[in-house]
Amino acid sequence: MTLEMRNIFKSFGANDVLRDIDFTISGGEICALLGENGAGKSTLMNILGGVLPADSGTISLDGKPVSFHNPADSLQAGIAFIHQELNLVNDLAVFENMFIGREIKTKSGLLDAKTMCQRCKEVFQRMDVDLDPRTLVRNLDASYKQIVEIARALLAEASIIIMDEPTTSLTELEIERVFDMMRTVREQGVAIIFISHKLKEVMEICDRYTVLRDGVMVAQGSVSETNVNELARFMVGHDVRTESLRRERKLGAEVLRVENLSQPGRFSDISFSVRGGEILGFTGLLGDGRSELFQAVFGSGGKYTGQIYLEGNPVRIHSTQQAVALGIGYVPRDRKENGIIKDMNILENGSIVTWPRCGKWGWISWSQVKAAFQRQAERLKIKMDDENHPIGSLSGGNQQKVVLAKWLNAEPKLLIFDNPTQGVDVGAKEDIYDTILELAHQGIAVVVLSSEAQEIIRICDRTMVLYHGKVQGELVGDAMTDQEIMRLATGGEREERVAISG
Amino acid sequence: MDNVKKEKQGVLARFQELWKTTPLFSTGIALIVMVVVQTLALTFNSSYDSFGGWFMNWLNNWISLLRGNAAIGIISLGMTFVIISGGIDLSVGSVYVAVGAFTMVLLDTGAGGWLGALGLGGVPAILIALVAAMLFGSLLGEGNGLLISYGKMPPFIATLGSMQILRSVTQYFMKTQSPSLPDGYKEIARFSIGGQQLMPILYWAIAAAVMYFVSKHTTFGRYVYAIGSNERTTRLSGVNVRKVKRRVYALTGLLVAIAAIIQTSRIGSMDYASAGSGFEMDAIAAVIVGGTSMSGGRGSVIGTVFGTLIVAVMNNLLNLIGVDPYLSSAFKGAIIICAVLLQRKDNN
Repeated sequence: MTLEMRNIFKSFGANDVLRDIDFTISGGEICALLGENGAGKSTLMNILGGVLPADSGTISLDGKPVSFHNPADSLQAGIAFIHQELNLVNDLAVFENMFIGREIKTKSGLLDAKTMCQRCKEVFQRMDVDLDPRTLVRNLDASYKQIVEIARALLAEASIIIMDEPTTSLTELEIERVFDMMRTVREQGVAIIFISHKLKEVMEICDRYTVLRDGVMVAQGSVSETNVNELARFMVGHDVRTESLRRERKLGAEVLRVENLSQPGRFSDISFSVRGGEILGFTGLLGDGRSELFQAVFGSGGKYTGQIYLEGNPVRIHSTQQAVALGIGYVPRDRKENGIIKDMNILENGSIVTWPRCGKWGWISWSQVKAAFQRQAERLKIKMDDENHPIGSLSGGNQQKVVLAKWLNAEPKLLIFDNPTQGVDVGAKEDIYDTILELAHQGIAVVVLSSEAQEIIRICDRTMVLYHGKVQGELVGDAMTDQEIMRLATGGEREERVAISG
Repeated sequence: MDNVKKEKQGVLARFQELWKTTPLFSTGIALIVMVVVQTLALTFNSSYDSFGGWFMNWLNNWISLLRGNAAIGIISLGMTFVIISGGIDLSVGSVYVAVGAFTMVLLDTGAGGWLGALGLGGVPAILIALVAAMLFGSLLGEGNGLLISYGKMPPFIATLGSMQILRSVTQYFMKTQSPSLPDGYKEIARFSIGGQQLMPILYWAIAAAVMYFVSKHTTFGRYVYAIGSNERTTRLSGVNVRKVKRRVYALTGLLVAIAAIIQTSRIGSMDYASAGSGFEMDAIAAVIVGGTSMSGGRGSVIGTVFGTLIVAVMNNLLNLIGVDPYLSSAFKGAIIICAVLLQRKDNN
């Protein structure tokens, strides 16, 4: 099947979101749809998915004009939209999820689980996956959830599948599994529209690309004729750095030292130290325990054994308020669940940590809060009209900057970043890296947790690689390479012991 | 001509936007409509020979309406914080009766009065009793708060339990007692200004003003909103979430104690089996009608004052037009359902 979208225009109020967009895709093709947050990718796909109407323009399938008034129309026509936040019910079995809303019933009106399971198995066979349809979705890992979504699309006989940033919460191994699935499905003539920020993945899996910037189509072509740098340039409109940002910095005194930290089932026997002005990375695959480790350091992870020293003094951290009082800051992963408070405005989200310091006796001086926030907003280049608007009105990158702002004002001695650029566009990513480097330059001890080896290599001075809750190895400076990190993260041994200084 | 039309569309669009985006706006409009209808009912209910006569009747009606709803109005203020924090407090009616009984036993002019037995009387005894009653109320609220924050119990269950316990224990202790209050104590609510007993209204207004400022300008108030919207993020921002939650329930207990003091002083006695029963539902109704979200994170103190008034004015209206009292709860229920239906759009 061939999809053609021609001369698509869309505006929200005075805001032109899409201007004269052409987009085509044919069966057996994976096409990347690229662009920064706010470039218009989601709007375009929502028009295709029947969620939004276009102001003008035509959509045709195999040359026949079609119009979608709601998502059901679009699905009926063979277009399935897999949203970034997966649409699965954790407490139902795989087959129940796949047939949700379209259940097969027996003559007497009861659910026909047997037939449904049979149909699921047929689809799984077609996809070459081994999965029991009766498994609870809760018990699947993130990649299999993604696969169930793809299977559901195939079950609905979709010939075009839209995948919105499917790899955001997956580990590298899981990503490979999903990619294999996408390749299998492509061979069967299905077209896939792949929305992603991760250009390396685009190079790996896609056949063609289309880049949107500020609502205009700026480039399209064949992936084999381009490279990551060029794609990044198309997206942001100027050159993007991929080189290491590591610089010699004067290291200060030791800020945090951790000895033999353990928490049953999460991490065990972890020791390391980080000095002022240093950026220490922690990486590994899913289940490596790095987030749990630093939740414990930040006082939100429950009981632990072992010893934490802060500036040489032994401390036991029981609560987040104690951690903040000790000068520790923590920018968490999964912004939506842990980072932002959706009913509060930008200003409040960007200042909650420092409320007690702006004012006396529990009263908040909003003018002080505002002044402090605006300083950080400028420093971080937060794009916003009015700090009293809801936090949800900002793009992902700007939301992340607001989360960062609340910690910068707290002036911590140690700042922990957990997946700091998750769901953040290329431009905002650079701003966040700049800020992290600047913080280190000011003498703050920085810890960066990331699942992206590239991120670690670009900004960290040194990295610990974890594997199943244990330190598998430590890499310093130029020893940090994609291959070396991957080898340690998958449980491989160190080739040689790297001298640990300091 | 064209300009006027455009202007009108602008006003209408602004109105629609406000209606959709500001819960306080739609609640306020609803209240104004209720008040207009109520005023009309009052005007046509009986014939007046002068404007002055009409005005006095109107004023007296309003004063008695406000005075009668001061207690529930004050309790609803506490309930607002509880619901914004993502919780619920079913025990307010029982805390109310427990504090009422406690105060009366303290001040009993008969043989059983505790303060009297200590040789205390007059104004000092009344002041001690007031402080003790407020502490007692806060303490009972604190108990709920401890169960919820440190005991990690769902607020619905913790307060369902304390609701049963408190009323039952109060009734048990009071089954053989019938305390009577000193006249000085009754002055708290009955003290008259210009021939009108306005004190309960004044207490309500002060409590509402204080709670409004707490909700907007204190760390505690803003933390309550933050916790109701996203407890995890709030904790990860270094906020002592458990302490804040505990305080929310203690604050509600304090406000309930104030309501109990006002009522016992106004009425002079209390029926331990029925007093305060249904207060939790009335308070929740006022909060919900006032536009506060049951799922937490969104709501306002002013909204709750409006909500309390909407329910109160409606009851008054039903009374004025002579609707059978048995039907008044049906109207209250309808108001709650309408309010939530109207607000549903905002919650997307």
